[in-house]
Amino acid sequence: MSAPRRFLVALAGTEDAALPEAVVRVVGAGAEVEVALLHVAETGARELAAYDPLLRRGPWPLPKKAEIEHRLTEADDEGAAALLASWHEKFALALPGTKITHEVAQGRPEEQIIAAAQRLNADAVILCARPRTGPAEPGPRSVGHVARFVVDHSPVPVLLVRSSRTVP
Amino acid sequence: MIVYTPLAPSAPLAAALFLVTIVLVIARPWRLTEAAAAALGAGGMVLAGLVSPSGAVSDVAGHWNVLLFFVGLTGAAAVAERSGLFEALAGTAARLSAGSPRRLLAAVVAAGAVVAALLSNDAAALVLTPVVYVLVARFGLAPLPYVLACTFVADAASIALPVSNPVNVIVSDRLGVSAASLVPVLLPAAAASVLALFGCLFVIYRQQLSARAPLVPAASSWDAWTGVPRPLLTAFGVAVAAFAVASALDVPLGPTMAAVWLLLLGVEWTSRRPERPLDGVGWSLLVFVASMGILVDGLSSAGITAWLAQLVLGQVRDSPAAVMIVTAFAAAVGSNLVNNLPAAFVFADAVNSAGLSAASAHAAAIGTIIGADLGPNLTPVGSVATLLWFVLLRQRGLQVSTWSYIRIGLIVTPVTILAALGVALLLGVPR
Repeated sequence: MSAPRRFLVALAGTEDAALPEAVVRVVGAGAEVEVALLHVAETGARELAAYDPLLRRGPWPLPKKAEIEHRLTEADDEGAAALLASWHEKFALALPGTKITHEVAQGRPEEQIIAAAQRLNADAVILCARPRTGPAEPGPRSVGHVARFVVDHSPVPVLLVRSSRTVP
Repeated sequence: MIVYTPLAPSAPLAAALFLVTIVLVIARPWRLTEAAAAALGAGGMVLAGLVSPSGAVSDVAGHWNVLLFFVGLTGAAAVAERSGLFEALAGTAARLSAGSPRRLLAAVVAAGAVVAALLSNDAAALVLTPVVYVLVARFGLAPLPYVLACTFVADAASIALPVSNPVNVIVSDRLGVSAASLVPVLLPAAAASVLALFGCLFVIYRQQLSARAPLVPAASSWDAWTGVPRPLLTAFGVAVAAFAVASALDVPLGPTMAAVWLLLLGVEWTSRRPERPLDGVGWSLLVFVASMGILVDGLSSAGITAWLAQLVLGQVRDSPAAVMIVTAFAAAVGSNLVNNLPAAFVFADAVNSAGLSAASAHAAAIGTIIGADLGPNLTPVGSVATLLWFVLLRQRGLQVSTWSYIRIGLIVTPVTILAALGVALLLGVPR
């Protein structure tokens, strides 16, 4: 028996709930498929929250920077874990018998998705064309900047999923 | 009539000392703190003979009201932080949002406005931002709009009351304008600028905010009010009321704020003994403010602030409306060039030396407060410090999309200033 095909599913968290069904229709399910769910915590906002005070606020007595950073990182990890757990349930329902793993990364989503695809030796990357902005018909501007970057830079095939209305 | 005051021969030296100090305050080389940098500059002013030692002592003593105010304010904010008040507020915001990102943004803006108005902009930005971040992460939402909302609302709401921004106290103290007399104008102006801010964020992030939150955290994690000791909660209410009454009666703000802090500390002590009750009092802020007073006195005695007043107010000094507009924009530009506290000091002194009529001085105080409070938002981290911030992040190998931050400030700052100024012109200019 050949090794299972391995797919990396990048989740911003705000995807259409029908994503797992779309995935199963295209890649199938069962033991010959492996799915890694990836969530990337963006660091820009965290840096802003941790550094803004230092330079902006003058000699106001500060909570320790390391302490703030630690709290924010912890919150990110907690949020990412909860997010992946909730998607894990949906994927487990739609893809019975499929091995599902979790990946959490930090940084720019587009870069981290490519890095994870290489690291995991994935056969393909799966992501929504524009997860944050809800349903969008195919057409101009219907692919967000993260998906665009992944399509441009991915060394492996990329499956762009549309929202439920437009999935065949 | 326009009176031309000549610059003193010492003007270049005084200006150079001030600018070098500001650069040190912003750049902070050799692990220098802002307070130490400002103190160095103040020492330089005295050593250079621009301010006499006795003059320096009377500068510091003359600021007793402002200094006492800062001790009380930073102390009270520290008590509030220890009590879990911020977590409780954020929890209420979460409950009110019911999982809708739009309503969560509205609730975060409202909570930030309340904290900024009552406990100062810095407390809102420093303490509330991380709390909101943690909350938003629990909803699985991208935190950027909410973090920016905290940062911006801290300043947008900070024109509201004398306690809302250190700048407000410095300006009204220096101009000899009763802080309470500004509230009927600045409180509605603050409401206008907060609404304008919310409108901007709502439009800019409309697409992100339209999706539902992917996670709904357990309701138990929202109800944080049980963690705040009841007596302390009552004491906060009493403190706000007492402060409102005292400032309406024109009792100096410094002793009032210090008394409020001692009250809160006393009540905190009875309900649970904090390990280090004096933690969080801004001693370095005191050194900074005292040093700024001496530095600006040096500029003043060299004739620089009078010259600046003439430059800015020369043509418009007799029209309160024009004075308000001009001071607001000049203070906004000034606080983006230097930090906003030094800018407020220089402007207040400049306006003071212009010898304006009572109506014009009142308008100038309002204009300066609006400009110096809202202006630094032009770049999201304020003033020249922004550039440094990005250098710092790049050094740490972090990629930040500079433009995505700066464009928000470029949109929000003019809109909030115009909104506040519009309301202030309607309410604050005698006709």
